Amino acid sequence: MSGEEEENAAELKIGDEFLKAKCLMNCEVALILDRKYEQLQQMSDDPMNQVSQVFEKSLQYVKRFSRYKNPDAVRQVREILSRYQLAEFELCVLGNLCPETVEEAIAMVPSIKTRGRAHEDEAIEKMLNDLSLIKKFE
Amino acid sequence: MYLKVQFPWNVVIPPDQLDKKRVMLQRFIIVRLLQEFSSRKATKEHGYFLAVTTLDNIGEGKVREQGDVLFPVVFSCLTFKPFRGEILQGVVNRILKQGVFLKSGPIENVYLTALKMPDYHYVPGENPVFMSDKLLKIEKDTVLRFMVLGTKWSETEREFQMVVTMEGDYLGPI
Repeated sequence: MSGEEEENAAELKIGDEFLKAKCLMNCEVALILDRKYEQLQQMSDDPMNQVSQVFEKSLQYVKRFSRYKNPDAVRQVREILSRYQLAEFELCVLGNLCPETVEEAIAMVPSIKTRGRAHEDEAIEKMLNDLSLIKKFE
Repeated sequence: MYLKVQFPWNVVIPPDQLDKKRVMLQRFIIVRLLQEFSSRKATKEHGYFLAVTTLDNIGEGKVREQGDVLFPVVFSCLTFKPFRGEILQGVVNRILKQGVFLKSGPIENVYLTALKMPDYHYVPGENPVFMSDKLLKIEKDTVLRFMVLGTKWSETEREFQMVVTMEGDYLGPI
C-alpha cells in the first residue's frame, strides 16, 4: 500500500476519501450511541447482550472522553468550530481535546498553522475562548 | 477518528422469509443487515463498525439460483478508524519493563514502548509503574494522551493494533 507510507493526520494527510468524510466528535458519537442503546433497552430486557463488543467499548470510550454532555452544547461546539475554516478532521480533534492554550492547540493540530492557512494566533485564541465559554455554561 | 460513512451492501433473504407483506420484508432486510454489520466487526479500509444509523435505500430484489433474493441496500453508519499522526486517549491495561499496553475505544492492543516515553523510568514491584523525573506516575488505569505512530491490520482477528508515542508536547498522563 503506497498510500499508507504517506498517511499523517498531523499534516492532514489522511486520504481524500477520509478528508471528505464526515468526522464526528466523541460527544456526538456518545449522543448517537446512547440513543441507540435506549432504543434497544425498550425492545429487550438485556440490551448489553444485543450490542457488539465494538459498540460497547466505543460507547465507554466516548462517554469517558466527551468534554460536552448536553446535546445543545454539543451542537454549539460544532457550530462555533465551523466558523474557523477547519477541515472536518481538525474540527473534531479540537472538539475532543479542548486545548486550553494556543500553543496546545497547535501541538494537537499542527495542520492549522501550515500551508499558509490564515489562522492567526488571535483567531485560535478566540476560538478556544468560545469553546471554554460553552463548557462554563453547560 | 469516528466517521460517518455510507455503504452500498447486498442483503440476501432466504426463500422462507420472503413474506408477501412489504412491511415484513423490510423488517427482515433490516434485521439481516444489522446481523451482518455487527458480525463483520471491522475492515482495513474503514475501521471498526459501530452502529447503523439509517437505512437510506432498498433496491430492487434479484432472485438467485438457490431461490433466495438479493437486495442491494444503501445505509449510513458510524465507524472508528485510527490514523497515523492522530492524537487519541487510552487507558493503561498492563505494564511491562519494555513498555505499556493500553486500550483505546474498540482497539484492544495499543503499545507504547519505554523508548517512546523518555522522561519515564520503570519501577519494578508487585504493581510495576513508570515514574517521571517530575514524579508523574503511569500505573494500571492511568489515562494517557498519545500520538499514533503506526497501525497494523490483522486480517485473521479483524482488528487493528497500534504503536503509539508520548514524545511530543502536551502528551502524557491526564
